[in-house]
Amino acid sequence: MAGAETGDTARLDSLSSLFDNVDSDSERLRRYAVDDLVPDGAVRATEIEDVERLQSFATERDLSVIAHGGRTMRDLGMPPRKYDVALDLSALDQVVDYEPNDFTITVQAGMTLAELQRHLATNGQFLPLDHPHFERATLGGICAVGRGGLRRGSFGGPRDWLIGMRMVKADGTAIKGGGKVVKNVSGYDLPKLFAGSLGTLGVIVEVTLKLRPQPASDQIVALNAPTFESALAASRAAANAAPFLNGCVALSAGASANAHDLGAKVLHDQPAILLRANGLETAASEVLAQALRAVRDAGIDNPERTTTAIVETWQAVADLELQNTEACVRLRLGLPPANLPRGQRILADNLPEVTSWVAAADSGLMLVDVPTVDADTVKTLRTLLGPLQGRLTIESGPLELKRAVDVWGPAGPGARLMHNVKAQFDPSGILSPGRFVDGI
Amino acid sequence: MKTPTPLVLDLIDAIGEEAVVWHDEDLLVYEYDGTIDRGNPDVIALPANTVDVVSLIKIANKYEAPVTPRGAGTGLSGGALAAKGGVIIGMNRMRRILDVDPENKTALVQPGVVNLDLGSEAERYGLAYAPDPSSQRACTIGGNIAENAGGPHTLAWGTTTNHVLALELVTADGEVQWIGHDTRDEPGYDLVGCVVGSEGTVGIVTQALVRLVPRPTAVRTMLAIYDSVRQASNAVSAVVASGIVPAALEMIDKMTIAAVEPVLNTGFPLDAEAVLLVEVDGPESQVEAEGARVEGILNRFEPRELRSATDPEEREHLWAGRKGAIGALGQIMPNYYLLDGVVPRTQLPDVLDGVYEIAERYRLPVANMFHAGDGNLHPCLLFDEREPGATERVLDAGGEIMRLCVDAGGAITGEHGVGLEKRDYLPWIFTEADMDTMKSLRAAFGPTENFNPCKIFPKGHGCGEAGHQHAQHQIAKFGPKAFV
Repeated sequence: MAGAETGDTARLDSLSSLFDNVDSDSERLRRYAVDDLVPDGAVRATEIEDVERLQSFATERDLSVIAHGGRTMRDLGMPPRKYDVALDLSALDQVVDYEPNDFTITVQAGMTLAELQRHLATNGQFLPLDHPHFERATLGGICAVGRGGLRRGSFGGPRDWLIGMRMVKADGTAIKGGGKVVKNVSGYDLPKLFAGSLGTLGVIVEVTLKLRPQPASDQIVALNAPTFESALAASRAAANAAPFLNGCVALSAGASANAHDLGAKVLHDQPAILLRANGLETAASEVLAQALRAVRDAGIDNPERTTTAIVETWQAVADLELQNTEACVRLRLGLPPANLPRGQRILADNLPEVTSWVAAADSGLMLVDVPTVDADTVKTLRTLLGPLQGRLTIESGPLELKRAVDVWGPAGPGARLMHNVKAQFDPSGILSPGRFVDGI
Repeated sequence: MKTPTPLVLDLIDAIGEEAVVWHDEDLLVYEYDGTIDRGNPDVIALPANTVDVVSLIKIANKYEAPVTPRGAGTGLSGGALAAKGGVIIGMNRMRRILDVDPENKTALVQPGVVNLDLGSEAERYGLAYAPDPSSQRACTIGGNIAENAGGPHTLAWGTTTNHVLALELVTADGEVQWIGHDTRDEPGYDLVGCVVGSEGTVGIVTQALVRLVPRPTAVRTMLAIYDSVRQASNAVSAVVASGIVPAALEMIDKMTIAAVEPVLNTGFPLDAEAVLLVEVDGPESQVEAEGARVEGILNRFEPRELRSATDPEEREHLWAGRKGAIGALGQIMPNYYLLDGVVPRTQLPDVLDGVYEIAERYRLPVANMFHAGDGNLHPCLLFDEREPGATERVLDAGGEIMRLCVDAGGAITGEHGVGLEKRDYLPWIFTEADMDTMKSLRAAFGPTENFNPCKIFPKGHGCGEAGHQHAQHQIAKFGPKAFV
């Protein structure tokens, strides 16, 4: 159990002699709680050397460390087996290197996505990743979670934009991988390994990313649909007919209503489809027209077009992923996009009640909110979705559920190699122990 | 008459006599991969399926024979050479496209499928396979995965790593596993991302699920001829700064023009200094508008001539000088040594000046062809290996050019791999701790000491020393470390 519960703070005493900014105030430490576990201390790193010193200290004393960025996804994963020290990286928030004409930027891990985008916008550039709560989410955290968002069909995920990284290993050794060039096969691709490793292999302290120019035109059309099923079918048709779409999302009435409350004013309390295209103005319009024809052929009409509140609308939908996580269980399903309608039917047939559905129809991503679900139902769903190549994870939910069923699902065929990797990088198992796949 | 060793007999027993090559004269073909280094394999085994690959690896392990995987041998970094002898496992017989799924935009292929063949198959469904190395008529998907291959069209779409979703991998201990997932939703570490670009040092890929992309409905290729490389480089910068992401942005220089013109009748003036190729693609209206803007930009830098084509045949003609460049170099000298440096794009003009200066100092003609949009340059040092001392000069000059790229904030290889050739230069960009970490990742894939030995990392025991000594010259000159 956590040190806080056992009152074992002696091992942390010397931490205060190493760092000026160790927080051991129990009230403030609650901010760093992960699945109800509160650490004994928190260190706010102000330079990379702090991370190195903390890790070597933690290795010597066998203290478990969980790194924090904006804490937007801190409850992702299984409850930690052990949690002694929180490592707060949010003060490492500087731009390290930015040459706009190279279309790359190097930033420290604690910089928020919103801050990065503001920085890039002054040069007409952006990083094409959708991430919920981008005002708080940090680049280090986004990379550690490693997930593509609603536009992953066009832009992929963090792994696809990462070209270099600096990390601190479990024992405090500073290392790097990749570089600052967009094409590189010098040495193994460690940034890919760390992207999505949820802090279990090392602490990401700096990232180098590829960038894109902002499109001349960015357009969104919202359409109401009679049911979520019809919205899903029509958005699949749109994705097939207009492969150059930059976003194609179906929402249930519940999801639309929530998104409206979060700022998506074009959405109302009805199932809806959102289509997004960008490029030169005529080209984006042409792509949207192509998609709209397919949607109409599928029996859905009455578009409401907006070209002004694009970021707000889209971000509101992305933010649904982290909305109301206390009140519900959020499931995340990934599967080949053509299998989406069948996957949706399996979920609908087996879940007694669903409050919100969101589906990225061009990339096979679905976020599903249910008031409650039991472990057996989750297992049944996984069995039924397996043949569709569906991977069902529990994004957030009550602790009892997380203790009763693995949120990641059963270990896949790569588990043996993954355990080997963990053993090589963190032999004493002090980094986020137990939170990841198959008990890693 | 040579008698087969017990190793050879076991291999024959496992996959049949016709699939095992062991006579000295037949082995010659596999000694070489277009670099200066050579490696002498004891035997070549050509598996037909995954089960064969497992058997071959297990037999090799039994005899403690090194294993080296090989695709088409076009990597140009010595990666496919049997540096310590042993068994080369050639993947060329496993060349079936097993499935194309147009709705999910994926293809399941065997590793020996030729890159261009996958592209042609995808085209039937209105799709494309984005990575398109210049060697695409010969190179294989398995080799592309090993080297994280790029090509002219990866400026917009990324390199191989952005297009491989899942793999069947046989590790060095002969275990088979599937890693990855159709939509990258398999929870856990990105093992596919680790295998792509690992240069065949952690296992052999026996199947790959790759991503296909929509084929553009329109394409426009523009070719501009300039009187100076700097003029052309400035045009490149202006195109990129305009916010347009061209599908390709390629350049060739005067020496390359001299090589291609007589063979390919490209109509390039022999006194021009640089030819720039820019391609835009996508929906028709986009291509029309972007094409017009790009032409406007190219014209601002006063090209001697500007050509433009949308028709497939005419476009092919514009591309001929770039794609046929390497093949045509033989016009000038019998041998070439192709480098694969990569630098931040804005550093290209200065680095090119440096390349010309180094080539002149070593008295070597140099032909430059490069992916200008990516900052990936391919200087080809031309020489005649029969001339005493020429090979040594080439290797020394090559090391100096690599150091130039490193000092400009770049890396020693963009798409060909470190291989055998550049392993001594790896410490110029990575610390001992970085390299130890990479080696620990390799160890996670099993006991790999005998699996594709002597590649990527410096200081292999008993590895070929040909290029090694020249690397030592450069290291003595510049010091062992840079860590930019």
